[in-house]
Amino acid sequence: MRELRLSAMEVATLLVIAAIVVWAALFGSRLALYDLTIIALYATVVTSLNLLLGLAGQASFAQTTFMAIGGYGLAVMAKTYGVNPWLAIALSLLLSVGLALLIGKPLLRLRGHYLSMGTVALALGTASFANASSFTNGGWGIGGVPALTIGGFSFRNSVAFLVLAWALCAASLLVYRLLGDSHIGRAWRALSTRQDISASLGIDVPRYKLIALVIAAMMASLAGSLYVAYTRFVGPDLYDISQVINLMFMLFVGGLRSTVGPIIGAAFVILVPQAVSGFEHYQNLVFFGLLLLVILLRPAGAFGRVRGQRALESILPSWLLRWR
Amino acid sequence: MQQAEAVRSGATRLPLLHVENLSVRYGGVVALAPFNLDIAEHSLTLVLGPNGAGKSSLLRALAGAAPIRSGRVLLEGDDITVMPAFRRVKRGIALVPEGRGRLPTLTVHDNLVLGWSSAPHGRRETYDTEMARIFGLFPILQQRLKQDCSTLSGGEMQMLAIARGLLAKPRVLLLDEPSLGLAPLATARVYDVLARLSAEGLAMIIVEQKAVPLPSANLTTVVLHNGHVRFREARRPTGDELARLYLGERHAP
Repeated sequence: MRELRLSAMEVATLLVIAAIVVWAALFGSRLALYDLTIIALYATVVTSLNLLLGLAGQASFAQTTFMAIGGYGLAVMAKTYGVNPWLAIALSLLLSVGLALLIGKPLLRLRGHYLSMGTVALALGTASFANASSFTNGGWGIGGVPALTIGGFSFRNSVAFLVLAWALCAASLLVYRLLGDSHIGRAWRALSTRQDISASLGIDVPRYKLIALVIAAMMASLAGSLYVAYTRFVGPDLYDISQVINLMFMLFVGGLRSTVGPIIGAAFVILVPQAVSGFEHYQNLVFFGLLLLVILLRPAGAFGRVRGQRALESILPSWLLRWR
Repeated sequence: MQQAEAVRSGATRLPLLHVENLSVRYGGVVALAPFNLDIAEHSLTLVLGPNGAGKSSLLRALAGAAPIRSGRVLLEGDDITVMPAFRRVKRGIALVPEGRGRLPTLTVHDNLVLGWSSAPHGRRETYDTEMARIFGLFPILQQRLKQDCSTLSGGEMQMLAIARGLLAKPRVLLLDEPSLGLAPLATARVYDVLARLSAEGLAMIIVEQKAVPLPSANLTTVVLHNGHVRFREARRPTGDELARLYLGERHAP
């Protein structure tokens, strides 16, 4: 499989990322530890999106819904009802799988723009529910979520959590790669372009789409839980529509269908606004300017090998193309 | 194995595929008026007709890809009218789609593996055995194995599409305009292979716009026009006949 094979560049990038994480674990400042942990968790969610959109071709905007189930599930169960946090994470995971199975069949019957609209509606509904419900403590959110512990050992320690977050990220990347190269991945890639032909190749299209949705929901749910376990706080802002857009930015900056792309994309979207925070009121303007520049210069993302770049190339002046 | 199957169906006297009053409609438009067809083992059926005659609708309805408005389809006596497309493949109906069914992001190897995994376990042999047979028919695919199938030429992609269909180990292979958009040389190569498969006893329904170089043994030709059967005989129509059938008496040479 050519598209999924790690290029030398990707292998080198993975090694550099691993080195940075090890360095941060040993000598990093608190801010470096925090940023790297958040990057790992977002990269996991973006990987789930990469699996859904990149491999299976399903443009779903509802990954924040499963993050929210993971996050609120942990907070509500562990804080409000005193459930063991690990058990709460596992139960939230089951809840996410349950929801994916429940909504998957009708939702995945939609194609193209209709699927996007349906899932955007789900994402909007999730944020509104979190904002309005007393169950989620509305706009206040839930603070003081119990920390994760194993025996006497607490993950309140930032280095331990860094390792935990990157373990989840590595596991999700591994799942992405292994499934992508397996029969399931082949079926996903087939149905992502032609559902009719996939069916004529004996592929049960609705079933394989549902598998993609469930696996992606599991990744997003676990990352959502760990995010809340790390920051010890959950609120509706974490899951509003701007987060959905951020996830898409991360995916496309990193490169659709690239294995390491989600990490690069997450790092870009998380770190660049910090780097340009000196611009104060113009911070967003500078960030989106840079984002636009990245998209113009690398339409397929940092590691993307997406064909059909011509649409973008055609709007660029030729002097800009010569720079690449 | 094919001999054993022939004996079995001979004993029960069932046609391999029985199509009864099959009609297809898209919205209010009749694509195919009630249509009857019996396909015997080892037979070759050529369905001809101009654009919009209902040929593709017929094939897609048989493969489960088009909505069947009325009628029924029996495969070896079993009603498969409402069976979803992906299950029909396992039952023995494989479709080589019009336009060759390119699947970008999949390599030639991926395509072949998908074809092989779509075959029923009882009928298929090991991957290597089946591949050896495919590469015997289409040597070029072996050289292209690791390429993304979007880099193949039209003729190569058509061969890959046929190979995918064959790997499903079908009882009936449906081919939707295999010569469409191919260079004459590529068309000749594709039809060489199809003639060989027919001689080996594979039952096929081939849809084309124009008459194609196929042996006339076991051949039935059906000509469709606006969803209706205009011609059905156990031979190839002559060029004059086809012109008359497509254009009407007045315009015939």
